[in-house]
Amino acid sequence: MKKITSFVLLILISSMILGGMTNTVQAQTDPSILLKIVKHAQKQLENQINQDSSDKTKQLFKDGAQQIKALEESLRNNEIDLAKQHFLSAMRIFKEVSQQLSINQSSQVEMATLKATVEDPSADLLRMQNYVDNLKTIAKKYNTSVDFSELDDLFVTAKKQIIDRQFDDALQTISKIKQITVNFNNEIREYASQQEQSRAKEYAQKYLEQLDRLIENAKNKGLSTDIIQKLETAREDLSSATNPHEIIKQIREIISIKEQFELTKNDRLESRVMQIEKILFKLSNSDKLSQTDLEDAKKTLQTIKRHLSQGEFETANELLRSLATLLEQFRD
Amino acid sequence: MNPELVPVHREESIREDGMLFVRTDGILETMVKAPLILAGLIIVAVVMPLQTSFSSTRTLELVIYSDGSTHVSTQIDVDPLEPDFELDLFGKSIDNFVAVGDAGFLLSEEIIEDKAIIDTFGSSSIIIDYDIHDLVSKEGRVWTFSFDSPSDYTVLMPKNSVIVGISGLPNNMEIVDEQTKLNLTTGLSEINYIFGTPINPTISDESPFNYVNAAVIVGAIIAAVIGGILMLKRKQQKSLPSIIQTESISEKQIETKSIDTETIFNFRPEMREDDKEIVKFISNNGGQALESELRKKFLQPRTTMWRAVKRLERLGVIEIAKKDLQNLVKLKKDLEEEK
Repeated sequence: MKKITSFVLLILISSMILGGMTNTVQAQTDPSILLKIVKHAQKQLENQINQDSSDKTKQLFKDGAQQIKALEESLRNNEIDLAKQHFLSAMRIFKEVSQQLSINQSSQVEMATLKATVEDPSADLLRMQNYVDNLKTIAKKYNTSVDFSELDDLFVTAKKQIIDRQFDDALQTISKIKQITVNFNNEIREYASQQEQSRAKEYAQKYLEQLDRLIENAKNKGLSTDIIQKLETAREDLSSATNPHEIIKQIREIISIKEQFELTKNDRLESRVMQIEKILFKLSNSDKLSQTDLEDAKKTLQTIKRHLSQGEFETANELLRSLATLLEQFRD
Repeated sequence: MNPELVPVHREESIREDGMLFVRTDGILETMVKAPLILAGLIIVAVVMPLQTSFSSTRTLELVIYSDGSTHVSTQIDVDPLEPDFELDLFGKSIDNFVAVGDAGFLLSEEIIEDKAIIDTFGSSSIIIDYDIHDLVSKEGRVWTFSFDSPSDYTVLMPKNSVIVGISGLPNNMEIVDEQTKLNLTTGLSEINYIFGTPINPTISDESPFNYVNAAVIVGAIIAAVIGGILMLKRKQQKSLPSIIQTESISEKQIETKSIDTETIFNFRPEMREDDKEIVKFISNNGGQALESELRKKFLQPRTTMWRAVKRLERLGVIEIAKKDLQNLVKLKKDLEEEK
């Protein structure tokens, strides 16, 4: 067992160190990006500075340009840290230049979408389009009879109205879209709630299995009959609950009992096992993990479950960590 | 785990000369293993990655609209043993909230101020989408996006916006549909931007369109020269029937076109239905599309779409090229055997 533990730990350590190194590499900024951003800003502001602009603004802009030159020089000399400093300085200056240029306009800070009067409702339409696309995917998932064709037509109309700059008409069309979307949303949620009940029951069943293991361990460890009695009563209440809200309520009560008697120690392990199970299920439908690796992972998971049921939490934990680390590599 | 050496069969080992013998065959192993395990446990405790813990954000993507509202899309790992999950929203002005659990099931939620209680019922991963109006403010013509992020994230800036101030260093930047997309790190970031006026691009190495424009101009000149020569020749050889030229042009057009979708589906009957939809979209899009466009169109997470694209590549239906650091998915002109 010790040999296995050492081996598992070695894999774990090396994978974590390697993983950490990868993250560090990814987190580094590509210096050429900085130059692109800053030059784009410079070009835009240069275009906006005119004879009416104040001397202060013009001087600030020159200072910004100097910082860009220094940035380029630093990049040529491969002085990355210095380049980053010049980038931040240049951007700080350009921000000030932008503020100076707009000083004649309203200086009052306002939450953009709350107060700004945006004539063109393109953003509103785009937001609705994304939301409706989301609902379409869900409606398809539930095989609902919701017909989106009217909404699709309205989107086409609104887009055309915006192109033709008929913004008032577009706003009315978007208002119609919103109204229909609210109804569709309710309809889809109605479908979803019907299936939620069965999902809630399935979840309660899994929770009951976990609770059974907890009660069994509590008995083996010789915990007081009072605690065991409370857990068994809670178990009965949960098994008779059918409504999703009732299930949540009962589980919250069980969690409260567990916390009261410090029985939550192994919840984390149980949760992790469930999470790993789901990751494995997802990976089994992809080509990221070979069949042999998949079978090995499933066997390890069974071993972990066995250790858990036998109360060997340390061993289960170590195996679980190594398996989780291994599977992480194959996820997103 | 215990590094202490224990004399084995002590009574038997003490001989007449009073020497104490201990079993030595496990000493080396124990001496090496004990510190190793200890060091391992310490390193594990220190470097245990966040993503393996519960309620960790796997992805966080923000899209800023032109009116300053922001779309938030996030994938979060949650505790499958908990019946619900309390999500901290990034503000109180929330619209169009949708939470989806494992296998794409819609999850019920209750939003109270800047918190959402989502009934997860055993889901281990949830995807959340919503619009928020609290992240962008405006002073004069300068817009400010201010966000304290719990994880690394991406932000897609509005079209025609120009970043004129930024408080931190982005990890990466790419252009998606003429919009700037930044990769930023955990913590507070502030981005100031304005809506720019069209300017003549002078940073020639930045824009792929310069190459395209140049290619078009050069191509047009070459075409004009060739056209001129051909016309001169045609005048000289009037006997050439014009129909041949028309045919050769249409042949060229066919050559440049990719195969129609029905042919692809007939050749690849094993192709999944959802993959067929992707192929149809690419075909209707002129035979090519960015992977990001496909994700947007089919509302799929990055990994799912990547897998789909890889599947199609293996089937020999598409090829993947790079464009502005993005994956450009192109329908192949001729089908090849499965790799």
